[in-house]
Amino acid sequence: MNYLPGTASLIEEIDKKLLVVLRDGRTLIGFLRSIDQFANLVLHKTIERIHVGQKYGDMPRGIFVVRGENVVLLGEIDLDNENSQPLEQVSIDEILELQHEEQQQKQEEDERKKKALSDRGIFLHSDVQDDYF
Amino acid sequence: MNINLREVICTSRDGDRFWRMPECYIRGSTIKYLRIPDEVIDMVKEEVLQKSKGRGEMRGRGGGPQRGRGGRGAFGSRGGRGGGRGGHPRQGKGRGD
Repeated sequence: MNYLPGTASLIEEIDKKLLVVLRDGRTLIGFLRSIDQFANLVLHKTIERIHVGQKYGDMPRGIFVVRGENVVLLGEIDLDNENSQPLEQVSIDEILELQHEEQQQKQEEDERKKKALSDRGIFLHSDVQDDYF
Repeated sequence: MNINLREVICTSRDGDRFWRMPECYIRGSTIKYLRIPDEVIDMVKEEVLQKSKGRGEMRGRGGGPQRGRGGRGAFGSRGGRGGGRGGHPRQGKGRGD
């Protein structure tokens, strides 16, 4: 298959349903309506999907203009097999609670790691590092 | 991608405190994303139609650069603001975006 160079290859994806992962770990699913040379994206009818383990929850979000530098990856959603995945959809409230628990666990783990390192004489800068990548 | 906002509500990092201010200028490089109201997408469609009509007229007269005037336009045209070369001297240089 022939691809256009650079971000022009995204033209192929216009008006398709895409899953977009941002650098802060957010997952957005929406219809790609427009792009530019910086891979800034316009997403329409967007939902934010939160995954915790095998469960996920969707929150309606509307239109997004995403700055290209914050995009980690994006891919077309296979509409035919969209509902035949091994994941279980749960309510927004439930997924938010699960996410909160997960975040707290991660925070505690980070604290433990930080302490273990500082006991051995390694001191990390405590700048909050939100990015996954 | 720098933006000017009016009637701004500024929220603290933890989302607990708020400040209301009349206006605010934000450097594009600090933006993650913008969330905009649904009505905006309908406005864009109308604009694209008008613009493409305008471009056709220009071509008929045989004048004007074929660089698109905003809207989706051809790829590589600057889109948005239109204008000729050097219209956005900073864009693409990785500074002042």
